[in-house]
Amino acid sequence: MDVQEAVAEGTASVDNGEVKRDGKKQFSMGPGDILEGRLIYDGSVHADGRLEGEVRVTGNIDVASGATVKALLEGSNVTLKGAVEGPVTARDKLTLGRNARVSGDIQVRRLQIDDGATLNGNVRMGDFEHQASGQ
Amino acid sequence: MSTRRPASRLATPTPAAAENGHNGERNSVVLGPNDRLVGQLFIEGDLRVSGSVDGELEATGDIEITGRVNGAVTAYNRLVVGSAGSLIGSDVHVGRLTVEDGATFSGKVTMGKPTAKEPMPVEPEPVPEPVPVAVVITQPEKAKGKRR
Repeated sequence: MDVQEAVAEGTASVDNGEVKRDGKKQFSMGPGDILEGRLIYDGSVHADGRLEGEVRVTGNIDVASGATVKALLEGSNVTLKGAVEGPVTARDKLTLGRNARVSGDIQVRRLQIDDGATLNGNVRMGDFEHQASGQ
Repeated sequence: MSTRRPASRLATPTPAAAENGHNGERNSVVLGPNDRLVGQLFIEGDLRVSGSVDGELEATGDIEITGRVNGAVTAYNRLVVGSAGSLIGSDVHVGRLTVEDGATFSGKVTMGKPTAKEPMPVEPEPVPEPVPVAVVITQPEKAKGKRR
């Protein structure tokens, strides 16, 4: 995928979807929204609809139960309730809700998996090197 | 085992398999906080670990870990790692999984088909049945070959 083009797509959506909550930026996608590409964002992301590519945020990531995500996700607190395929990094805590369907490797500091969630992949806990925020 | 099972379906764990305790109750094994196990353990039923385990655990029912476990874990039904529990597993095969906040958990998680593994290690060996020897007793009155 052409990264530049992809970033441009993401930026356009940021302008449309940005909401401020408690003085912190939040990028919010609705159920009909689609994001393909790479999003590096200084704030939090609420993902619904379809998301493909890569999302790295300084704040939290929240994936809604109806969402379909095929992406690398990285954030502080990550809460997944929908279908997610791809590696997930939570610098603080990862929560898998009971409807979550996650397939991919996971790196977390804290982990909570609710009954009913599905997970297939490697789980690593603790020791965070820079590895996650690089690239 | 039903012969009518559709070929497209995977074998699913049968809950009845865990009922080998007394009076048909579900078997349950508890390793207390001061208990320690090094090696392999297979339980037909549920297992609760609040002590420490170095080795492999396998249960046909649920496994609940509130202690420390280092090693592979297979729970045909459900695995719960409590908030004080620690599971450092190379392979984790489970039907359902709950990890409470605060728990330590790492390993390769596979969900959905926990029974697709090697045959159970503690399966009782089949007792060789004595081969029926045909004893021919001459019965002059019932010579039609029908055996009772």
